[in-house]
Amino acid sequence: MKSIKRCQHIISLFLVLFIAGMVVLVVKIQREASFYMMNSDNRVLGNVYDRKGAILYDGSLKEGEQKYPDGQFIDVGNLIGDDKGQMENTLVAKNLEKLNNYSFSEGLVQNGGKAAIYTTLDHKANKAVYNAFQGNDGCAVAYNYKTGEILVCTSLPSLDVTKGYANIGNFSDGTLISKNMCGTVPGSTQKVSTVLSALEIMGADKLMSKSFTCTGKYTNKSGAAIDCHELYGHGTLNIQQAIEKSCNPFFAQLVEDPDLDFSKLKDKYEDLGYALNGDDMDYIDINGIKCEKASTTLTDPTDFQTQWGCMGQGDTLVSPIQLMMWQSAIANGTGKATMPYLISKVTDVKGNVSEKASTKYSGSMFSSGTAQTMKQMLLTNGANNYSYLIYNHSVGVKSGTAQVDDGKNENSLLVGFCDDPDLPVAFCILIENTNITYMKTEYIAQVLLDNLAADLND
Amino acid sequence: MTNPISYISSCLFVLVAHAAMLANIFINGNYDSVSDPIKVAAAVGLLDLAYFITVRLFDQTSYAVDLALILILNMGVIFQSSFGGVHFSGNALKHYITAIVSLISCRVAFLICRKYKWLQQKKMYIYIAIGICAVIILTLTGSRSMWISIGSMSIQPSELMKPLFILACATSVSEQQNKHKILFFNVAYENIILFGIMMGICLLQWWCRDLGSLPTFMGIYICGYLLRVCYPKTKFSKKTYIAGGSLLGIAAIIALRFAPSYVQDRLHADIWSDKNGNGYQQSQALIGIANGGWTGKGPGYGSLCNVFAHDNDIVFATVCEEWGLLYALMMIFAIIIMMAIPLIIPPRSYFHGTMAAGVCAAFTVQMSLNIFGSCNLIPFTGVTIPFISSGGTSMLVSGLMAGMLAASLSPSFEEAVPKKVRKPAKNTRRRSA
Repeated sequence: MKSIKRCQHIISLFLVLFIAGMVVLVVKIQREASFYMMNSDNRVLGNVYDRKGAILYDGSLKEGEQKYPDGQFIDVGNLIGDDKGQMENTLVAKNLEKLNNYSFSEGLVQNGGKAAIYTTLDHKANKAVYNAFQGNDGCAVAYNYKTGEILVCTSLPSLDVTKGYANIGNFSDGTLISKNMCGTVPGSTQKVSTVLSALEIMGADKLMSKSFTCTGKYTNKSGAAIDCHELYGHGTLNIQQAIEKSCNPFFAQLVEDPDLDFSKLKDKYEDLGYALNGDDMDYIDINGIKCEKASTTLTDPTDFQTQWGCMGQGDTLVSPIQLMMWQSAIANGTGKATMPYLISKVTDVKGNVSEKASTKYSGSMFSSGTAQTMKQMLLTNGANNYSYLIYNHSVGVKSGTAQVDDGKNENSLLVGFCDDPDLPVAFCILIENTNITYMKTEYIAQVLLDNLAADLND
Repeated sequence: MTNPISYISSCLFVLVAHAAMLANIFINGNYDSVSDPIKVAAAVGLLDLAYFITVRLFDQTSYAVDLALILILNMGVIFQSSFGGVHFSGNALKHYITAIVSLISCRVAFLICRKYKWLQQKKMYIYIAIGICAVIILTLTGSRSMWISIGSMSIQPSELMKPLFILACATSVSEQQNKHKILFFNVAYENIILFGIMMGICLLQWWCRDLGSLPTFMGIYICGYLLRVCYPKTKFSKKTYIAGGSLLGIAAIIALRFAPSYVQDRLHADIWSDKNGNGYQQSQALIGIANGGWTGKGPGYGSLCNVFAHDNDIVFATVCEEWGLLYALMMIFAIIIMMAIPLIIPPRSYFHGTMAAGVCAAFTVQMSLNIFGSCNLIPFTGVTIPFISSGGTSMLVSGLMAGMLAASLSPSFEEAVPKKVRKPAKNTRRRSA
């Protein structure tokens, strides 16, 4: 009988293993059923709303149905996107499962499902900023640097997703992507990173005591010429003046300076999130949307490409969101960036809140002392050079001009923050091809801050 | 169970279970004419009654396996009749016929396997039968196929090797006490023969690309190996454990390393990024399960019926979609109950225990491969769920194994009839002289 028991134990072993597998399977199905349904052709999507409940995407809209005025969602077309599969890096495409009016027990709810995504966007301000571009290509992004809520994120050209893709062949380049997520040549806004690194390596006092002379052209130690935008030069400058004048020869000499240890400079750039010298580039995740981080070339302090990279030209690429995040780390005075997010809450098919956002911070990129010094430099620059361009707001800013298309075109950038506890906003604005347009980044910044101030204090 | 009252009450339970499923078809099913579900109900009811009567003609200690078998088989018939719309023609009718074949094969296997001593004597024929199957595979199926086509029928000879392999494990289990020293190991010849058969089957499955069945044979072998370890008075040395385990491990590593490209593709497939290619069946199966939810879309309302092998390889998902996960789990529970019967009614000998455990191993491995494979928990292999998936050979073999399970609970220990000893004529003449 004892030996028969052994047979029974073996049978039990097989059955227990199988039943354990079945339990795992049922749990897996329960957890992932919504994901499976999102891969089905048969799905019922909910809506996406802005922070005040204005609709940004209507999941129930049928192909060709006219329910909203033309261009109602054009300012968020390539950010919110849709489920048609033409745009993959959008909020809807990356969060289809959350919008799914489905649960394993309820099945697909054809009518009356309450699955929805509530975003942090301010549609009114976003639309105003979009319109302020007046058809020029570019992008603008702004967020609350205290909480991480993205308030404005628009990119031109854009599309009205309710119109479908029949005309896709005539779409301009960049229509289907939000440029805020893509790397772009940052121009002199990159000098903020160089100054942050120099502050970390040398300390504020030493950097403040440095001065270099600009004669309009500087021949570096390897014999390459660095031109200044000021033909006759800026004369002798300290770091504050160099930032305000955005003087290239000053920064070339700073990079060559023996006090700026080059290996430490590379370390500090990596702390800021740069991929150096062809290393694999990382992404910032914003509710599933992939946002490119920064990359540049730093090989030798006397090398033209390296110096050019430290001034935001050449092969340096940074996404507007990353530029904005550095501004948040400065504005917060902590050296830690507030992580941006788009989704404030998610409701399930029954309307229960299934997900709620919380504020998160990056690791320490630089010290709080460095952040505060840099903040003061940018605020001084804002007060001295932008107070008449961006009025009614106390801003710390740095502008940049990026040469693109092998120097044939120029893009204008403006990064900064608003030093106002009631309007804690960091932003980045990019206008493309400013060599052929009169549009100024400061004007967009003015529209952006005015609208946010009005809306946030409503 | 021989008590007529308990037998009748068990039969009633089976009838009620089938009636409930048929009522679901009537109320929630998708059918063109009422005659369709009526035909299904008539067929199921007739088969139930016919088997209840037939099985009583056999003298058994327990009828539990038989009643579980008819419960499961007709569940399968009802499921198969509802896929893509309730009907009793084509595949549904074919499945019904194979269910009858399965019941007959169960009875045949019961009669053969209950006689322990007779079977022990005929052990050599089991090895010969395995050899014949191997020769058939080598000569008739071809190196890239596992099927032999005879007219409109297809037979999978490797399936037939499963019950034979279980019998080989069971009949040799008592012989392993006779140890012989080979190199550093004390081994029994029977164990070497069994290992040789296992390796032969592995190579054969590899050759005919029927790698889906390989884990089932491995499961049976592991079960047999464990039962040898557990055999009364077995003296297994640590060296034997290590050698056996190492051999299995090495075999698994070699198998994975040199697996054909189509196996490698399945091992590393991301079904969602390739949902229209290699991952098509699994992704559709999972979508079907999600679509069905707990209670299903209704018999005949599923869309998985348009997917290849919806009635065998991904039958669990098809049942889930139309009948719901609850029904599918009940179906699996019924099969588990059948396999668990030897835990309640113990087998009468170690031989029968080994046979029952072998059947249990084969069924659980097959169900795991089918269900977990189609649901993307493990690589998808394309084997069947016993009694539920369509497929003639599978149903026949599953019936045989159910018969072996029934035999293990109602064995016969009759002495084998001794061969007549012919007296030499010479002596007779001498005596008469």
